[in-house]
Amino acid sequence: MDFTFAPEHVALRRMIREFAKNEVAPIAAEIDREGRVPFETLKKLAQIGLLGVCFPQKYGGMGAGETGYCILMEELGRICTSTATNVGAHIGIGAMSIYLDGTEEQKQKYLMPLARGAKIGAFVLTEADAGSDAAAIRTRAVRDGNEWIINGTKTFNTNGSFAEIVTVMTVTDPTLGAHGGMTAFIVEAGTPGFKVGTHENKMGIRGSSTAELVFEDVRVPHENVLGKVGEGFISFMKTLDMGRLTLGAACLGGAEAALEASIHWAKTRKQFGAPLAHKQSVQWMIADMATEIEALRSLVYRVAWMVDTGQSFTQLAAMCKMYGSEVASRAIDTALQIHGGLGYSRDYPVERNFRDARIAEIFEGTNEIQRIVIASNIFRQHGVRIRP
Amino acid sequence: MQIVVILGQVLDPSGIVVKGKAGRIFVNREEYVLQPADKCALEAALRIKDTTNAKVMALPRGPLPNDDVLRQALAMGADRAVYLTTRRVANPPYGDAVMADVLAAAVEKLGGADLLLTGATTLDTGQGQLGPRLAEALGWPQIVGAWQVASRRVSESAGGRVEAVLQRAGNYVTVEADLPAVVTVLPGALKPRYPDGVRLINVYRAEDAVERWDVSDLVDEASLQPLLEKRGQDFPPERELGVRLSGTPEEMAQALADALRERVSR
Repeated sequence: MDFTFAPEHVALRRMIREFAKNEVAPIAAEIDREGRVPFETLKKLAQIGLLGVCFPQKYGGMGAGETGYCILMEELGRICTSTATNVGAHIGIGAMSIYLDGTEEQKQKYLMPLARGAKIGAFVLTEADAGSDAAAIRTRAVRDGNEWIINGTKTFNTNGSFAEIVTVMTVTDPTLGAHGGMTAFIVEAGTPGFKVGTHENKMGIRGSSTAELVFEDVRVPHENVLGKVGEGFISFMKTLDMGRLTLGAACLGGAEAALEASIHWAKTRKQFGAPLAHKQSVQWMIADMATEIEALRSLVYRVAWMVDTGQSFTQLAAMCKMYGSEVASRAIDTALQIHGGLGYSRDYPVERNFRDARIAEIFEGTNEIQRIVIASNIFRQHGVRIRP
Repeated sequence: MQIVVILGQVLDPSGIVVKGKAGRIFVNREEYVLQPADKCALEAALRIKDTTNAKVMALPRGPLPNDDVLRQALAMGADRAVYLTTRRVANPPYGDAVMADVLAAAVEKLGGADLLLTGATTLDTGQGQLGPRLAEALGWPQIVGAWQVASRRVSESAGGRVEAVLQRAGNYVTVEADLPAVVTVLPGALKPRYPDGVRLINVYRAEDAVERWDVSDLVDEASLQPLLEKRGQDFPPERELGVRLSGTPEEMAQALADALRERVSR
């Protein structure tokens, strides 16, 4: 067993950490305050190849694998959850769905510009009445000769307002349900009938864009079917497994930042004549945070290794997302407590991190859904098929 | 045009804690980074490469524990990098005086160069001898402590010249030297670029990305005698506190003016 990172991953982390410190950190508070997407950061990330970090070089990517992608998300998660969210939606689910299920032609045409960062991607699934129950979507695609006509409204689409290539889930045969009746399509922005609707005014990750997308008689050619007709649901679930792992990595970064801020504050802040570091109550908080972070780090990079070595990881990816988001929320909540009144002030990044952290327990499948995924995998191994 | 950049490494300052009272440096994370001034020298070389067909080659300041800084240079855009090994066991640090001769021989083996760039100072030891000593060893002109570096070709027959911007007595001055020349670059002079992601992955994956030469192939290593000898280490004395001025604004201004005048006359 070898727990060391490969030299290229050590070098990659150093590069990303430097990038995040110089380019992301200085504007993290500003983009949160102004509620704007840092397009300048996305452009800089694209220039050095990071928007295609995990994809093979033959598709315009960097070729750093899932481990490299987790490193990117961890380092961005330490500094700015909004930026990590923009990047995660682009790579982890937007471009990833085409990488996992696209044909060679689709990869050349759509994955290549996404991996190079020339275009931004998004993954479009959720609807007003189909959140956790993703199989309940109503957006319809009907075949018309060599084209499909898509109609429906999608909500909570990260990057949706500016993505140039989106993958969208539709119902193609309402009689068949999730298995056989759902199909995914690649849609380009600018296709007639494809419109951006309302924007969410969110509690946190305010430097990311979450928008409604409206499809009104959007015509796409048959060659834009992603995967096979009728197999969209399985295809999207595979993509979401990947997204869950890397969301766990971003949470790891957020938790580490909370720990570092807490250690710094415990060393600096004096009460009753001594730094907080000498108070046992604070020591225990730090010890608990550090232990959970170590456990999460081991989990995240073990699963990244499993992906890179071609092993199945669905259950563990759900654990990464669920445990990661909860470790991050606990760590940031504790950090706020250690900072006291100042942690509640907008002048300190803990306040922003606190608002940003909460979403990770909700999006990419709520933690309740993750528990169902984990439990159903466990019971399946014991011969029990649980019903939703 | 061939540009040689000399690179060194330093313990990442964010991974160490200096405890003056205990007289110790605690290394929490033993990670090395490129010397900041050397990184600026590399950036200066790469900027010349961006606009000309120059080739950039990286050499280390001496035998280093690993070839990481050379791989970093390749990832940032250098064309070739050579790592120096030594057969001396438990070798003392040779120091810049000795390394200048070794590196001059390495430059010869590379087939010569038109421009040699390195940092004007090192972050850890604060030394800036290597550039000037290399210029002496090679018999080339030297420009020390540049903010900017540019090369230009005067004519086909006369060869090129190097221009550098220096700071002198509060002004910026541009100086020139005939090529080949040595220029040392100040830390913080330029904002170094990030490595290219694809290059970085490929360079760190390819074991043979960095060439390996032994010091004994360049010079008679047995004859190398370091001029430096380490006898111990000490911490600088605690800084004395300054004086806090008090009184009316006029009185404080007067006291400050007097203090400045005294310092100037001293």
